Amino acid sequence: MLYKTLELRKTFKERTVLNLENLTIEKEKIYALIGANGAGKTTLLNILAFLDTPTTGQLHFYERAVQYNNSQLLELRRRVVLVDQYPILFTGPVWKNVEFGLKVRGVSKAERKKRIEKVLRLVGMENFILADAHKLSGGEGKRVALARALAIEPEVLLCDEPTANVDAENQEIILNILKTINRENKTSIILATHYLSQIRQVADHTLMLEHGCLSNKAKENIYRCQRMSRRGETLLCHLNDHVSLSIPYEQQQKIQRNSTVHINPHMVRICQKRVETLHENTLTGYVTRIEQDNSLIRLTIACGITLHLVLKVEEYKELQPMIGEEKAVTIPDEALSISE
Amino acid sequence: MDLLFDSVQSAFLLLVACDPELLTIVWVSLKVSGTSTIIASLIGIPCGFLIAHSNFYGKRLVLTCLNTLLALPTVVIGLVVYSFISRRGIFGPLELLYTQKAIIVGQVILIIPLVASLTIAAVSRIDSRYRKTALTLGATHLQMAWVVIKEARYGIGAAVIAAFGRVIAEVGISMMLGGNAKGFTRTMTTAMALEYDKGEFVLAVALGLTLMSIAFGVNMLFHFFQGRTRIDAL
Repeated sequence: MLYKTLELRKTFKERTVLNLENLTIEKEKIYALIGANGAGKTTLLNILAFLDTPTTGQLHFYERAVQYNNSQLLELRRRVVLVDQYPILFTGPVWKNVEFGLKVRGVSKAERKKRIEKVLRLVGMENFILADAHKLSGGEGKRVALARALAIEPEVLLCDEPTANVDAENQEIILNILKTINRENKTSIILATHYLSQIRQVADHTLMLEHGCLSNKAKENIYRCQRMSRRGETLLCHLNDHVSLSIPYEQQQKIQRNSTVHINPHMVRICQKRVETLHENTLTGYVTRIEQDNSLIRLTIACGITLHLVLKVEEYKELQPMIGEEKAVTIPDEALSISE
Repeated sequence: MDLLFDSVQSAFLLLVACDPELLTIVWVSLKVSGTSTIIASLIGIPCGFLIAHSNFYGKRLVLTCLNTLLALPTVVIGLVVYSFISRRGIFGPLELLYTQKAIIVGQVILIIPLVASLTIAAVSRIDSRYRKTALTLGATHLQMAWVVIKEARYGIGAAVIAAFGRVIAEVGISMMLGGNAKGFTRTMTTAMALEYDKGEFVLAVALGLTLMSIAFGVNMLFHFFQGRTRIDAL
């Protein structure tokens, strides 16, 4: 086991930003950490990188409780490295940046040179070895920051939004590097991201954070929900001001001013035949994306809201939806869950 | 006007002729001010860094005190140090009074608050991610401090230059603690004051020109390096 938290809490001025009762992270795997802004992702990464201390509770690293004293922290920090969302490069050439972690560890000059060349080749930045670090573009800077982290051959690599503000080409490069070092060096990787498609591409496990707590609710298909009107037992709500949905009776009490509704993508179904009189929770829209997720097929439908649904391969083969095709989808009551 | 013009002309002749008395005065000034700047920097920069990077009870008070000390008159420092190093003072047996060491002590006290305050300002402006990045890459706290100081080097350089400018131009401490002994503790400013008292403007103006040239030269050198690096970074 790589990390284990026991009743770990982090509070800032009496506001709890992280509350992890029991989180276990295995070694040599890729974990994706997802959650809305302010969910506690960066705080968790800082704690896992031993750059921040929990307010209460314990963190175990390789079955050993972390003692927050300077000598142990230095030893632990030399095994784990964090690449920031907006990494900052030191003033000077690229090679000096990559060399930093090796130099502070007292690695010999010949070995430093070898590793600098190796990691810069790995991130495709070997031609920039002499370039001024502050003259690089955002994507290049992220790759150099990644190379700087990889040069020290960490046991754990923590990445905060590694592909944020990076063009598609650089995103692909960065994700491939992460997969490669996990496969070849057995480096454990924990990455915080907003891009669900990337998670499916690289992560073995997904950790979802909501208001600082672990959640098992997928981040996709979450919409702002506003009470609209009531007809008998039926309560109609607006989702993101665009689509109206009837809320099942047993969940109506939960609707508040700032409620959100989550639609389980595994329960949404495509209507096989064109429905003349649409069910209240049947929406019509156009297929905008189809992708394979291991043994499942994920569809994205623009129907006033961006709705994601998951089909089995057999279902997909039977329905054969195409990009741009108009489709009606049914959202059963049990697929809806309301939270404040 | 003629008096000033004649003085400037004669001063130039003195400078061109490398007058030995003038050179001695300049050398003493540079030696004393340079030494006090180095000592104050060795104390003020780490202190400034520590204050900027630590959160402790009373930090605001420390910053207020430092800012107040920036306005400390040189004659007050002269008086206080005099009371310590005069024959009746507790450091009297060290026989420091009217030596270059006495001037250096006074000047160090004068500019430590300046170096520390400007270092605090320079270090506080540095992005906190430098510190975080250095630590996550395995740096010790000392190595992390070095990274931050390197990134703040222009601000710290400016602090050192400002401190040097302050001590080379001060007269109160040099006069009260050095005694203006010819060839020994006579600095450019004390010599200028003496020559003025004597009504001899030529040497005073020559020293004034030299003082301004040194200050200008040091600042030009600093701006040259700073500017070159900034242009490189564009």
